[in-house]
Amino acid sequence: MIDFQIQVDPRILQAILPELEKTFGKASRTSGVSFACPNPLDEDFVEAWESGLKEEFLNDRKVLARLLRNPKFKHGYVEVQDDEVEELLRSLTELRITLREDSLKELTDEDLEKGEVELEKKKSSVRIGYFAYIVMAEIQEKLIAECS
Amino acid sequence: MPLSVNPETIETTETEPELDQVWKVIVLNDPVNLMNYVVMVFRKVFGYGEQKAIKHMKEVHELGKSILWTGEREQAESYVFQLQKWRLQAVLEKDD
Repeated sequence: MIDFQIQVDPRILQAILPELEKTFGKASRTSGVSFACPNPLDEDFVEAWESGLKEEFLNDRKVLARLLRNPKFKHGYVEVQDDEVEELLRSLTELRITLREDSLKELTDEDLEKGEVELEKKKSSVRIGYFAYIVMAEIQEKLIAECS
Repeated sequence: MPLSVNPETIETTETEPELDQVWKVIVLNDPVNLMNYVVMVFRKVFGYGEQKAIKHMKEVHELGKSILWTGEREQAESYVFQLQKWRLQAVLEKDD
């Protein structure tokens, strides 16, 4: 079992939890495979490719769902089984991609890569989305550090 | 001057099955994934050492893309699938 506590103001954590739930639900519902199949003209191949990815994504999301529903998470505690770390890392990436495409779509790639976002000039939904994006990144950083 | 074309060359190129060609596995840059996440994925998928994985990550970040592997089609498809499973933007291209 890997467990740690993220360093984040409890008020921020409380504010982003509904955003995380909403974004997780959106990622699960849309579940469209937006990745390029290497053989797009072969319908059978595309179907097998996409269903394979969807199955992988579904398995990954189950681990993230357990984390988000763990009562300790709202206090900043992250708990994950050793053999589920990779699934959690991947599903956190999916969550961040969905946040980027949804709540953070008005930000530029450069803003996000450099972390230079003038939050005080942004509306509340963008601020919350950005905090969620950053907190998920912190969890990923800690998980990668634990693995290596 | 008219271009001179060797018909044998054309025939060989046009009839060569795609499976016999060499393919490139390319990863494209994205603004979301963390640098150390990308390094970790390259190490897991390709078995690269840390320095090689970092070199490719920097290429992706600075040049917009990096060729991670070249070889036969079936293995290349497998690598692309694994990279996409990790939510990286990976594509397959013929190696010219």
